[in-house]
Amino acid sequence: MMAVLAAGCASSGVKNPSGVPVTHMNADEQGFVAGTGVESQDLVMVADKMSRSILGIPQIANAATPPSIVINPVDNQTRFPINKDIFLTRIRAQLNSKAQGRVVFLARHQMEELEKERNRKREGQVTSSSDPSVQEFKGADYFLTGSLQGLSTRTKAGTSDYILYNFHLIDARTSAIVWEDMAELKKQGLEDAAYR
Amino acid sequence: MKLLWQPVLLALAASLAGCATSRKPAVPPLTGDILVDAPRAIASGPARDRVIWQYRLAAAAMRQGKFDLAKQNLDEVLLTLGGIYGKDPDAKKARSYFRAEARKTFIGEPYERSMAYIYRGIIYWMDGERDNARACFRSAEFEDSDAALQEYAGDWVLPDYLDGLATAKLGGDGSDAFQRAQANARGIKLPPARPEANVLFFVEFGPGPTKYATGQYQQELRFNTPASPVASAMLKVDARQIPIAPTDDVGFQATTRGGRVMDHILGNKAVFKSATDAAGSVAMLGGITTAVASRDRTTQQVGLGIALAGLATTLVSAATVPKADTRAWDNLPRYLSFACLPLPVGQHVATLQFLDSAGQVQSNLTKTITLNIATTDRDKVVFVSDASITPQTL
Repeated sequence: MMAVLAAGCASSGVKNPSGVPVTHMNADEQGFVAGTGVESQDLVMVADKMSRSILGIPQIANAATPPSIVINPVDNQTRFPINKDIFLTRIRAQLNSKAQGRVVFLARHQMEELEKERNRKREGQVTSSSDPSVQEFKGADYFLTGSLQGLSTRTKAGTSDYILYNFHLIDARTSAIVWEDMAELKKQGLEDAAYR
Repeated sequence: MKLLWQPVLLALAASLAGCATSRKPAVPPLTGDILVDAPRAIASGPARDRVIWQYRLAAAAMRQGKFDLAKQNLDEVLLTLGGIYGKDPDAKKARSYFRAEARKTFIGEPYERSMAYIYRGIIYWMDGERDNARACFRSAEFEDSDAALQEYAGDWVLPDYLDGLATAKLGGDGSDAFQRAQANARGIKLPPARPEANVLFFVEFGPGPTKYATGQYQQELRFNTPASPVASAMLKVDARQIPIAPTDDVGFQATTRGGRVMDHILGNKAVFKSATDAAGSVAMLGGITTAVASRDRTTQQVGLGIALAGLATTLVSAATVPKADTRAWDNLPRYLSFACLPLPVGQHVATLQFLDSAGQVQSNLTKTITLNIATTDRDKVVFVSDASITPQTL
């Protein structure tokens, strides 16, 4: 009788009736939910590689004064819509963390707010710890930007996506590309026949 | 004896009542308003149907000017589409003889997936993210790239055209994409791309394709494309008039994909169902006839055995479900089109008239959009459907 009762419990046919607990994963490991697009492990790998590579170049390693860098948006040329600025955010954060003051990043994306604040100081609306009429906004020594390019193939055998991550540092005075590095990833997958 | 059965019946009743987790989530009653029905279905309907309701909700929200709602649902849909690789228990069930194809998580046919990317691309462009918009248009083509007949693979016109336009606006060379668009335009001369145009009109009209099942066991998926009361449109902005002809026919995209792998699976299911049905009927008839006709006990037993085996085979046949999945994104448009023009800073009134095949204005469908152009540096993106609300101010 008990066996009948146990067997009769209607949770059968429902997947994970008790749910799936939250699984903590490292950002650099592939989870059990994966696609062929840009994922966190790619971001971590690429940003780590780029930040290590930038720190080693003489323009930064041997600079007498820390060079000022402006980050420009990445150009996403792949077929995957992504939050493209996340790469540069991670590279910047990692450089700021590891470079120990050897580079300075300029917050150009905050210029509107910064100019408003400076104007308030100039007009005496708020206090100022220095002479607000002096131009202290820094100019860039370098621009850091990049692009994501992709090659995608889809056949009966599956989907293949290759993405080339390219980042470069441009000298703002000479327009010379003083550093460039890349990372590339290829992923393949095949959906269940029911979807083909 | 009666006392003995009472606890058994009570236990059985308790076991049934105690089975609190039902196999199927309750389907909420439909009101006919997608903006009401879809959120309910997404929240409490079967998980396998979630994407279809998100599709429908996104399209309806676009037409209501609720682009944030459309964006939220399309983003969730695209996550599902991007993560469909590998083993899927529901898909496996859908391939089995005894489960319907509709058991699988719905992601739609390639034309439906492409439309999800096209809508999301439009919203990205609205938000000023041209490269992400371009990514979506590329994915829209990509979803259509494994058609059985190569001439119909990746043959959407508008996504390639917009890929080229976005690339040109981003300072690149979009000529490859323009050439692809023109090659697929099938006799239509596409207007030259104008990177300086800062106002973009995405236009859709007509009822889109629906699905139905045919064949002996409804194992064959087919598409029905109803006639569209709207054949073209006319855009009037300030003193300008721009005729808008369809660039893409969603019905054409639905019907030119060719055979699916799943069609073979459903075909095998149909053959299995037919064969087991025939074998079962023959065995039952033969077995019963043998049992009735014979006076030999052993022969009668053999005959009944054959009849029982036939019955079992017939039951297996009855349990086989070869029916094709006809769930569809049923509020898609029939035609897509596009127009762009440069407009100076200031307020402009645009009127979009929808015309029938004789060129007559369908006045009940006319839309009015007031455009406030604050800057020419950023594109003003206008989405207009023959089912859109009117007037709109953007």
